[in-house]
Amino acid sequence: MGKILRVNLTAKSLNVEKTSEDVARKYLGGKGYAVYLIYRYLREYEKAGTSPKDIDALGPKNVLIFATGPGTGVPGFPSSGRYHVMALRSPLTGSIGSANSGGEFGPFLKFSGFDMIVVEGASETPVYLAIVDGEAELRDASSLWGKNVFDTCRMLMDKVGGKNTSVACIGPAGENLAYMACIMNDDHRAAGRTGLGAVMGSKKLKAIVVSGDEKVPVAERERFSEVSKRCLDAMKNNPVTGVGLPTYGTAILINIINTAGGLPYKNWQTGVNPDAEKISGETLAETYLISRRSCWGCPIGCGRVTSVKSGPFQVLASEGPEYESIWALGSSTAVKDLDAVVKANHYCDEFGLDPISMGSTIAAAMELNEKGCIPTEDLQGLDLRFGNSAALVEAVWRTAYKAGFGKYLALGSKKLCEIYGHPELSMSVKGLEMPAYDPRAIKGIGLNYATANRGGCHVTGYTVSPEVLGIPEKIDPIKAEGKAKWVKIFQDFTCVVNSTVNCLFTTFALGAKDYAELLSAVTGWKLTEDEILKIGERIYNLERVIINKYGFDGKDDTLPKRLLEEPMPEGPAKGQVTELEEMKGEYYKLRGWVNGVPTKEKLAELEIEL
Amino acid sequence: METTLTTVSVKILLFATLRSKYKTRELTVACNGTLLSMIESAAKLLGPEFIDDVYDRKKGKARNDMIIMVNGRNIKDLEGEITLKDNDVVAIFPPLAGG
Repeated sequence: MGKILRVNLTAKSLNVEKTSEDVARKYLGGKGYAVYLIYRYLREYEKAGTSPKDIDALGPKNVLIFATGPGTGVPGFPSSGRYHVMALRSPLTGSIGSANSGGEFGPFLKFSGFDMIVVEGASETPVYLAIVDGEAELRDASSLWGKNVFDTCRMLMDKVGGKNTSVACIGPAGENLAYMACIMNDDHRAAGRTGLGAVMGSKKLKAIVVSGDEKVPVAERERFSEVSKRCLDAMKNNPVTGVGLPTYGTAILINIINTAGGLPYKNWQTGVNPDAEKISGETLAETYLISRRSCWGCPIGCGRVTSVKSGPFQVLASEGPEYESIWALGSSTAVKDLDAVVKANHYCDEFGLDPISMGSTIAAAMELNEKGCIPTEDLQGLDLRFGNSAALVEAVWRTAYKAGFGKYLALGSKKLCEIYGHPELSMSVKGLEMPAYDPRAIKGIGLNYATANRGGCHVTGYTVSPEVLGIPEKIDPIKAEGKAKWVKIFQDFTCVVNSTVNCLFTTFALGAKDYAELLSAVTGWKLTEDEILKIGERIYNLERVIINKYGFDGKDDTLPKRLLEEPMPEGPAKGQVTELEEMKGEYYKLRGWVNGVPTKEKLAELEIEL
Repeated sequence: METTLTTVSVKILLFATLRSKYKTRELTVACNGTLLSMIESAAKLLGPEFIDDVYDRKKGKARNDMIIMVNGRNIKDLEGEITLKDNDVVAIFPPLAGG
C-alpha cells in the first residue's frame, strides 16, 4: 500500500502514514477512502463535544482531502488521470464537499509518492504545499496570493520544474471565499463543484504542486495487461468513446437534450431553447475548435482547445466550454452568443469558479431582476437581463472579486434568492445548483438530483445515459415508473468509478464486470462485479450517514417547486411535471432507507461500522 | 381492404458526424409516412449510403445504434409502427454522449 500525507496548516506540521489495506478493501480509494476519513473526523469532533452541524465550512475545523485511487496513474488503466477532492462540509451547501477533476494532477500526485493528501487546520498567511519526489514542504505563498489560475500554475511549474509536475490551485474566487469557487489544476481542469476552492482559500492554501516519477504498483501485471488491452479495445471500438466524444467533446449533447425538450432555458422556465443550434457542439467544432486535449492516460480525449478569434469577447486560447458550462452560462441565461459563453467560461477557469453554479446563479439573478425584485442600487449598473452577453461576462469577474453585485452572486443562487425574497427561483437541491437536464422531460435524473448526497448533481447517477442516449439500453425519459432502480445502481457504480479514481466516461463502454477485473488485477484482490457494487453501495450509504449528521434527510431529498408543480410549457414533454414522491418512495425501499436515513439493518448488511 | 398511404412532407435534421459527412443540417422530403420511405427519399438527395448509415435492411428497422427522434420522442419509446405525419420533424443523431 502507499502513503497518506497529513498536513496541519495551523501547526505547520507534516505527517506521513500508511494507506490502510483494511480501509482500502472496504472503500477502495479516492472518494470512498475520503468518505471513510470524513466519517472518522466527525466522530472525533463529536467525542470532543463538537456537533457536525456546528462545523464552519470556512473554519479551521473543516478538512480537505485530495485523493487518488488504485487505478490512478496506472499506465493502461483506461482514463485514470483523475483525482477526487472532498471536504467535511461545503460552504455553498452545508452538505459534504465533493468534486472530481482530470488533467495530470491525480497521477502526478501519485508519482510524487502519495496516495492522498489530508489538509487540516488553517494558516494565518498564504502558503503552498510542494511535494517533490516524496518530500513534502509548506512554503510561503505571499507572492502568489492574488494571482489568477494561469499565472499561479505557470509560476509554480517554472519554480519546481522537472517532469511529471502539476499544480492544483485556487484563483481570486477561492481567495475571496466565493461559495462556488473551485480548485483548478493544469490551467483549465477543475474540481468544480460544492465550493472547495473557498475551503482552500479559507485555509490560506494557495496551491499544491506535485512532482515525481515513482512507479505505481500493479499486483498481477500479466493479468492486468490482458484486461487492460481488452478494455482499451472496447473503448476504441465503441462509437461513443471511440468517435463521438473524441470528435465533438461533451458539447455535442446540446442539440439532443434540447430536441428531447430537456435543455433548461431562462432559469428553467422551459426545456426548449430556440437558439440551441447557435451554442451547440457542432457550432463549437465548426467555429471555435483548435485542437483536442486528453487527460493523462486517456484514449478518449474529449477536451476542447478553443479560441474566439476577434471581437469584444476575444480569447486567443482556452479550453472548453463543456456541455454543462455552455448550458449554464448560455442556455440558462438565454445568451446565444457563443463568443460570450466561451469568454465567460474562460473567466471561470482564470478566476477559479464552477461554471454550473456560476451560470445558474446569474440566471436566477436575471429572473429576479426581470421580475423587479432587485433594487437598482444593488445592481450598480449591471444590466442583468436574459440574453445580455456583456452582463454575463461582467457578472463572472464581479463574482470572483465580490465587486458590486458580485458580492451577492458569490453566495450562490440559494442565498441570493432568499435575500431577494424568492427562494423558489433558486434551481438547486440542498443548495447546489442543478446541471443541464430538466427532470420534467427526463424523470430519472430528477430522482438522482433529489437524492444525490452532495446536492443537485448529474454525475452522482447519470441516468441520462439510458433515458436519452440509450446506453446501456433505452428507457423512456418521460416515464417515472422503474427509474428508482436505475438511479440506485448508477449512484452505486459511480461511487466505484470515483473511488478507483477513474473517468465516468469509461462507463459508456465498460461495465461493472470490466471494473471488477481491472481492479482485481491492479490490487491482487479477487473482486467480483457484485462485490464492487456492494463497495459502491457502502460508500453511498456512509456518505448519507455523514449528511444526516448535518441535518439533511428526506425533507431535503426534493426538487425546486417549479419542477414539481409547473408543467413543462412546450416541447415533447409539454404538460409534464416531475413525479418525485412516487419515484422516491420506490427508491427509499430499494435503498433500505426511511425518510432519507439508512436503517441500522442496511448499515449492518453493508458492514458499515459506526 | 387496402390501406392507402398518403404522401407527407417531413423535415429531417442531421447532427454530429452525420451532418459533417453529408454537409447537410436539414432537408425536407416527401414520403409515404413510413420510416423507410422517409430514409429512401432522403437518400435520393444525400446519396445511397445514407440508407445503410441509419437503417438495418436485414432487420427491416432503423439501426439500433442510431438515435432517431420524431418530434422530440425517440422512436424506441414510441409504441407500434411509426407513421409520420405532415410537418413532422425527425432528428437523427449518431451514437453520442457527454455529461
